[in-house]
Amino acid sequence: MKKLILFLTFCMAFLSVGCDADKLLDQPLQGRQQLDDFFSSEENAESFVNSVYQLVNGTNWNQVNFQRQINEMASDDNWAGNTRQPRPDITGIAQYNVFPGSTYFNLFWENHYIGITRANIALDRIPGIEEIDDAKRAQLIGEVKFLRAFFYFDLLRNFGGVPIVTTYNEILEPSINDKVRSSVEEVYRFIESDLNDAMAGVPLRSQQSSGESGRITRGAVQSLLAKVFLFQEKWGEAQAMAKTVMDSGEYSLESDFANIYKVGNLNSVETIFEIQYINNQTFNNVGGQFSVTNGSRGDRGWGWTSPSSDLENAFLSEGDNIRLRSTIIKHGEPVFGDPAVTSFDGKPSENKSGRTNRKYYIPTGERPDPYQRGQLPLHYIHLRLADVILIHAEAAYFNGDETSAKTSLQLVRDRVQLPEKNNLTGENLRDAIWKERRLELALEQHRLYDIRRQKINGVPRIALILGPQGSFVKYNTEVSIDPFETTNLLEPQNSGTLFDPNIHLLWPIPPEEIQLSRGNIVQNPGY
Amino acid sequence: MKQLIIILISVLSFSLSAQAQKTVKGIVTDGKGSPIPGVNILEKNTQNGTFSDFDGKFTLSAGEKATLIFSYLGFKTQEISVSGKNQLTIKMLADNTQLEEIVVIGYGSVKRDKIASSLVTVDGAEIAKQVASNPAEALQGKAAGVQVLSSGGSPGASPRIVIRGITTANGSTNPLIVIDGILQPDGTSLNSVNAQDIESLQILKDASASAIYGSRASNGVVLITTKRGKEGKSVVSVDLNYGVQYWDKIESADAQEYIRIMNTRRTNDGNAPLFNPDDFQGEGTDWWNEVVQNFSPILNANIRLSGGSEKIKYSGSLGIFDQQANYSKGFYQRITGRFNVDYKVSDKLTLKQDISPRIERWENTPNLLFNSLRIDPLTPVFIPQSERVGRNEFSIYGLSQNLVPNPVGQLARQFNENDFFGFFSNTQLDYKITPNLTFKSQFGFNISRQTSQTFNPEYFIGPNRQLEINNLTKRVTNNFDYVINNTITYDNTFNDKHYLNLTGGIVFDSENFDYLQGFRDGLPSNTNVNLRQLDAAEGETIRANANQATDNILSGVFRTIYSFDNKYTFNGSVRVDQSSRFPENGRTGVFSSVSFAWDIDSEDWFNSETINNLRVKVAAGEVGNQNISRNGQFFSVGSGNFVFGGDRVVANFLSQFGNPNLRWETVRDKNFGVLMGLFNNEITIEAEYYEKTSDNLLFSVETPNYTGIPGTVAQNVGSFQSRGLDLTIGYNKKWDDLTFGANLTLSTNESRAIDLAPGNEVILGQRRPRLGNRFVKITELNETVGLFQGYQTGGIFQNQTELNSHTSEDGTLIQPNAQVGDLRFIDQNGDGLLNDDDLTTIGNPFPDFYGGLNINMNYKNFDFSMQWYGTYGNDVFNINTEYILAGTQNLNVLAGLEDLVWSPTNTGAPYPRLTELDRNGNYQNPSDLFIEDGSYLRLRNVQLGYNFKIKGINNCRVYLAGQNLLTFTNYSGFDPEVSSGGIINGLGVDSSGNPVAKTFLLGLNLTL
Repeated sequence: MKKLILFLTFCMAFLSVGCDADKLLDQPLQGRQQLDDFFSSEENAESFVNSVYQLVNGTNWNQVNFQRQINEMASDDNWAGNTRQPRPDITGIAQYNVFPGSTYFNLFWENHYIGITRANIALDRIPGIEEIDDAKRAQLIGEVKFLRAFFYFDLLRNFGGVPIVTTYNEILEPSINDKVRSSVEEVYRFIESDLNDAMAGVPLRSQQSSGESGRITRGAVQSLLAKVFLFQEKWGEAQAMAKTVMDSGEYSLESDFANIYKVGNLNSVETIFEIQYINNQTFNNVGGQFSVTNGSRGDRGWGWTSPSSDLENAFLSEGDNIRLRSTIIKHGEPVFGDPAVTSFDGKPSENKSGRTNRKYYIPTGERPDPYQRGQLPLHYIHLRLADVILIHAEAAYFNGDETSAKTSLQLVRDRVQLPEKNNLTGENLRDAIWKERRLELALEQHRLYDIRRQKINGVPRIALILGPQGSFVKYNTEVSIDPFETTNLLEPQNSGTLFDPNIHLLWPIPPEEIQLSRGNIVQNPGY
Repeated sequence: MKQLIIILISVLSFSLSAQAQKTVKGIVTDGKGSPIPGVNILEKNTQNGTFSDFDGKFTLSAGEKATLIFSYLGFKTQEISVSGKNQLTIKMLADNTQLEEIVVIGYGSVKRDKIASSLVTVDGAEIAKQVASNPAEALQGKAAGVQVLSSGGSPGASPRIVIRGITTANGSTNPLIVIDGILQPDGTSLNSVNAQDIESLQILKDASASAIYGSRASNGVVLITTKRGKEGKSVVSVDLNYGVQYWDKIESADAQEYIRIMNTRRTNDGNAPLFNPDDFQGEGTDWWNEVVQNFSPILNANIRLSGGSEKIKYSGSLGIFDQQANYSKGFYQRITGRFNVDYKVSDKLTLKQDISPRIERWENTPNLLFNSLRIDPLTPVFIPQSERVGRNEFSIYGLSQNLVPNPVGQLARQFNENDFFGFFSNTQLDYKITPNLTFKSQFGFNISRQTSQTFNPEYFIGPNRQLEINNLTKRVTNNFDYVINNTITYDNTFNDKHYLNLTGGIVFDSENFDYLQGFRDGLPSNTNVNLRQLDAAEGETIRANANQATDNILSGVFRTIYSFDNKYTFNGSVRVDQSSRFPENGRTGVFSSVSFAWDIDSEDWFNSETINNLRVKVAAGEVGNQNISRNGQFFSVGSGNFVFGGDRVVANFLSQFGNPNLRWETVRDKNFGVLMGLFNNEITIEAEYYEKTSDNLLFSVETPNYTGIPGTVAQNVGSFQSRGLDLTIGYNKKWDDLTFGANLTLSTNESRAIDLAPGNEVILGQRRPRLGNRFVKITELNETVGLFQGYQTGGIFQNQTELNSHTSEDGTLIQPNAQVGDLRFIDQNGDGLLNDDDLTTIGNPFPDFYGGLNINMNYKNFDFSMQWYGTYGNDVFNINTEYILAGTQNLNVLAGLEDLVWSPTNTGAPYPRLTELDRNGNYQNPSDLFIEDGSYLRLRNVQLGYNFKIKGINNCRVYLAGQNLLTFTNYSGFDPEVSSGGIINGLGVDSSGNPVAKTFLLGLNLTL
């Protein structure tokens, strides 16, 4: 009898399996929302769009931002800086001994496209959501289009024409592997079209609720468009678009230059597009990275990207102490705005110039504890009014409107109590505008793009600054008596001498991408 | 341990209490009259019994009219009546083992000659003789086509078993493990089995044998049969061994050589030297000596009790294994128990219940050799006492000049504990409905629970070498896996000529997994181990994660075996699988096989003096592979954080790009074999040729980055075909006091891509960040899978003339940045540019052949065995070269590098000049500089034993053994025994794990 019961138990156990076969074989993934169910509400749509914003700066130091830091090193404003840490994949690029396979090019490229694909998914799915207010739908689509344009613009400025992926569905087809690089003109056309589409849906800054600050506004779209026009030398359109922003009444210059980068001054009157950073230990990567990656090795930083004495001289030659003290910290000197530091440790033994970027510096009293990457509460500004005003000045100058150019130039100089330059004209005025741009926006990661773009008699300025005869190289090798730079030779004084204008106006396409595309993506000349 | 022995001995003495009736003495010999020790002698229908001693003699008290059963492996069992006799002489007759041997096959067992497939049996005694931690290691060299590759010298590391080459692209080459009929979960290592518990082990090499296991059998199947009690006297056996492990040192440059090389690298570029040699005296720190602890112990102890009556048979064992790492941290300990009971309820019904609990404890073994070789020798292990003020004990380690983590500090900061408890149960019921019809029902389950805890202490060594707040992570993983098998077998022979065996059944297999993980920072103490609990943590960062998953497979199986007159044998099988890992439209897989064997020597017309056994066989079958992430089909949304309005908001994104069209990977194979026995099986030759075709090969494909797909997408990428030849030659001979056995196995294997799916016409693998983030493995249509690609080099530029003449046809310099002493890269397409179009095939990771030689000898009381293993003609991509030859990032270099690099005074050097800028990219491009010949021959195991004759003890053997004592190779890496990853991505890439250790052991086998 016992045997029979046992026997039956086995049979029952087996039968119960047999009955529910279908149920047993459908094993949905646990604990993860599925894309097809996800776009069902306004709230979800918004949180998905938030993830597109993540890629503007990346969620880790190396994804996007560090390549921007390397770009700064590759200009005359900065040295690689850190002479303690042997990193040829960083210092090599700064010296124009460019290693195409650098992880930072790779990550920069990859993460921009991750952002583009997130944008494409949002653009694919948000129109189909039923439970959403139409204005909100238009706003979210507008934000995403701005961001997609932003990503392509950044790719374009670094790599030249890039493959344009415009939809989510195409990446799932085998034919996606056949993509080739679009021309620079085609990419610009796509960027302009996205920005024009974005314009109507997004609100004015003054229409945003306080919880929305940081999201894209119409002013941001217009400002980026003005810059995109400027880079294409569409002077008239650039001037007009910049003027629209200036006249919108939505933005004004921060009265004190030192307040632009000040902990807690989120969404300041001057800010047009910023990534906000806070300190909140509960969540990953809600804070910034720069104060550490850029900070002095004597001040709990990594020491990468150190301002040059050449940049310091540019301030001094203009008598511009207000911006200098809020831009450069120098070894052995007090830190402006940080009364606790009377003699800054710039570790010149481990740093080329003993100088540090003041804009990304967090005064000791305002530092969170622990003071660590991903938790640093200092915002990062991509677009601010002074940038737009100087776009206006430059575009107006090339548009033949020297009067407007001078007015705008002076708007920016007035804040830092610099004298008028009303007597300037022609190339002198042009050079003054360019210099103003360098000083006002110094160390905010614009410089390399500007000197690649700005041309004198058709020659990009960078070719006059770098290269064996470049002004920066000549200054460092023949003129400079800077006590730090001339003594720490672990980063060579002739950095930039390897610059070749036939190659180095663009960065190389990551070789990984050339391999993965089976050669459909073609390398830039010279690499 | 002691208590256990006492218990076992008391059980033993209980079973020895016999009735005294009459004393029978005798001697057992083989056919030639030589005594056989250890023959099991049992009084029929009792538990009374004994063994023959070393002279073949025995004494037993038995009933007046008792019948004694004499049994011994390899001989026919005899029953002798003692009635009227007091003195017996028993001649044991050799059993024709090859033909009569019962082999376990899927869902049943039959006589070996009824199987036409390719399978290999390894006897448990051979496995037990091995001293390794893992029974897999004992398989090495036993079977042609079966590779057992070390996965590194870390304690508890489970070797990779590769059966007939790697066919899968996904990395896991582990065959399916089946223990007493119960399929073990994916990824089960043989670590879960105590080698001493194995009665026999069968490897199913071809699909005609393994198709009955369907979807999980594409890497081959290993069937393990555990030891069960036998009718007869209780037997206690004890096995003990203890040894030490040793790593050969790799010398890196000392302080003076390091300074010279680093300075030369810079001065060669026209830059200021890095160091002032006057600042450093002496040889500096020898990091290898600081980090490596040689002669770390390894211990294996095992005790078993078995026996039984006709009704109940039992076998119980307890094993302990303990292995320490060659560092101050890292160990692996295991206690396994196994209790198998057979209960014969009636002639028709048998119940079997096996339970096997297992406890493991381990601490992860760090891999610190890499950092020990790379860190500069100028840095002291500890900072001076005067600088330690205000620093805790984890912050007193020197920050290296080149910012390689201080490996001694890393060791000090590692706090990792893992505890595992597993419980395996197998309940089996055999019911003979009629003498020829058997119903078998089996329920097996595995429950396991693993707890892992990692503590990271606060420390500060330098700006990027610090942790400001300590933290603790605890993870608990639970698995519950079960298998239900219900089969019916019909087995009969008609007219003495027609043998028929039919098996059919329905089986269900379920794997269930869940985990819970907690993280919190801010523990009140860095050092108080009692406070290393999440409860004590006080920090602001708290994270909790948990999830679960289930995989189910429901299957039907059917097999037929037909044999005519012992001459012609036909096998056929079908399995239908439905797996929850695939979307509904791709869920069902049908796997079938046929095989045929012809025993030519059984034909009447066959008449040969020399050939006593001749068999040919041919087989074809198919198996499946579902070894892909269970997430493969899904489009999952992940979440992160962003900030608006000064507050954190949720950010959701597509984290997993699925593939709704995923299907089974199917492996079809064909097998042709010849088996020959010569001179009464003194020489045996087995040759098999196979062809395996994997269709719809599953691979996680990396798409171009402009797709914005992070990571990879699971795809069916195409068809690969691998072909190979397995050859086994055995020689066994016995002279008077000497027996000699040698077994040589040789195999070849190579895979080609015979079809590639749209979008996957080129499959790339193994991206190397240091070599320009380029992929160094490539798979293209009609080419060998996973070839190495890179630039071909043409030596080193010896002078300016050579440099100037390295031009394209129109005179353009191909390497404008090169200098004398740099590598010459070949411009393959002659366009004057060196770019991705010039990458070419620079190596083949498949060996021309691989194989092993096992030799066993017995002379009087001595026994000796050794095992050799090697590969020939395979290329290895040596990742180490990227570091320890280049000096990039001021990393330390191999001792003696100055003599190996080009300089005007050392023009014959194999490696290019020293340069820090490396404008030519000598060390930044994939090239044949990194490819080496990976051929090697290794003495895997050597053992010398001596059998002591001690009265009252059946068997007492003491042995000395050594593992990996000799290796012959030209390969310069840590260890030529390279095994990593799948065929596309990993095969032949040496990522420099901990090398296997040389091990010296002393052991004891005792049977009471």
